[in-house]
Amino acid sequence: MSDHTVRAYDKELELLGRKIAEMGGIAEKMLADAMDALADFDVDLAHTTVNSDVRLDLLQREIEEQAILTIARRQPMAVDLREIIATIRISGDLERVGDLAKNIAKRAIKVAAEVRIPRAIIGLRHMHETAAMLLKDVLDAYALRDVERARAVWTRDVELDALEDSIFRDLLTFMMEDPRNISFCTHLLFCSKNIERIGDHATNIAETVVYLVTGEALPMDRPKGGSSYSDISSTVVSA
Amino acid sequence: MSNFRHDLPQKLSIKNLQFFYGESLALKSINMPLYSHKVTALIGPSGCGKSTLLRVLNRMYDLYPKQRAEGEVLLDGKNILEPTQDLNLLRARVGMVFQKPTPFPMSIFDNIAFGIKLYEKLHKHELEHRVETALKGAALWNEVKDKLHTSGLALSGGQQQRLCIARTVAIHPEVILFDEPCSALDPISTAKVEELIDELKESYTIAIVTHNMQQAARVSEYTAFMYLGELIEFGLTSHIFTTPDQKQTQNYITGRFG
Repeated sequence: MSDHTVRAYDKELELLGRKIAEMGGIAEKMLADAMDALADFDVDLAHTTVNSDVRLDLLQREIEEQAILTIARRQPMAVDLREIIATIRISGDLERVGDLAKNIAKRAIKVAAEVRIPRAIIGLRHMHETAAMLLKDVLDAYALRDVERARAVWTRDVELDALEDSIFRDLLTFMMEDPRNISFCTHLLFCSKNIERIGDHATNIAETVVYLVTGEALPMDRPKGGSSYSDISSTVVSA
Repeated sequence: MSNFRHDLPQKLSIKNLQFFYGESLALKSINMPLYSHKVTALIGPSGCGKSTLLRVLNRMYDLYPKQRAEGEVLLDGKNILEPTQDLNLLRARVGMVFQKPTPFPMSIFDNIAFGIKLYEKLHKHELEHRVETALKGAALWNEVKDKLHTSGLALSGGQQQRLCIARTVAIHPEVILFDEPCSALDPISTAKVEELIDELKESYTIAIVTHNMQQAARVSEYTAFMYLGELIEFGLTSHIFTTPDQKQTQNYITGRFG
């Protein structure tokens, strides 16, 4: 797309894009570090992760302020308007991802003193890897304005729902085997919930990317994979 | 064009309109509806033909030699481009408000009464009532009711423009054409005129040419984007300003043109 006649307008939009990219990078790192801190019982890494959230919150505020100023100054239309609305929404989603990663890191500090069940962490690691991939892919989709990539993330979130269910069952089993496992497993339950929520935010970002590029919304009902819904195996995706 | 609504009544239908300034083709095969009781905005860069198009709708171009239109412009189904069309009658049905306020050098009262008297013979009371109604219709009555016999030229720019609007509605047109009505006005007067346009569409069909994108977005339900004499895109204003179909339209409304 060609440049705006008023170049300052382009600079403002570029600045917003750069800040989103920075937020994305921080959120991804926080998620990775939180999981490592949990799996390796690394309390120092956990503390570092918790502290990273401050920068994320600050960026979100800066983005909102900048977006509002741009709206007031430029009265954006069409794709520019959708662009600015998208940065406001995505910055909100990324800020929440950071909060959720921070919560996982806090739990990592708490479980450091607990009885450990390495088997329990394996399932969570798998879930984390899936979520991290969704987050990375959706941020790429945003950077490249790639609708197909965004749609793929939107539909693959169903995997996370299914994983959360299976972890839930596993953790229940561990808790039933031995009451001394309960505290540790309960913390992990919360972590799995947090990861599942991160997947939801990736889905939100995917919806925003599709809206940004096409001006249209994805369907209200995305495929769901949890056992509280009818049939996991028959979630057919209509792209 | 696929954006036309077949269920909405068209007050004016423009079909294959070509317009010439001498040998130069200024409008190229324009096909466009003006839906009844809706506001349609015409936008586009300078020289795109939007004012030319507006002036075809009440055959203003007839006042000038070497300007001619071909094709059809149907007003309630009848082609106004026919040589047999009564032009005075046409211009009573299709009124126009210009960019520069053009009050007559007369009193406020006479500004309005002048047009009425051209078409109708009314008793003094009826005439006074019509003038009052027109001034109320233009949201000007309260400001001028105590000085109706002072000169129209002594009013402020915004008031003069509303006086011109009152003058236009006084003869009960069916269509009102606005050619950049607020370009010469301050923001408050602009807001008053926009508010007025919103009220007027209840009773009239309105077309407005404007350079101000935000104004087009605010006041109109339908927008036509023109470029170099062609109609590039026509559709719902809400659609055009959020997700236009044509790249050129998007480039223009987002300030990426030229």
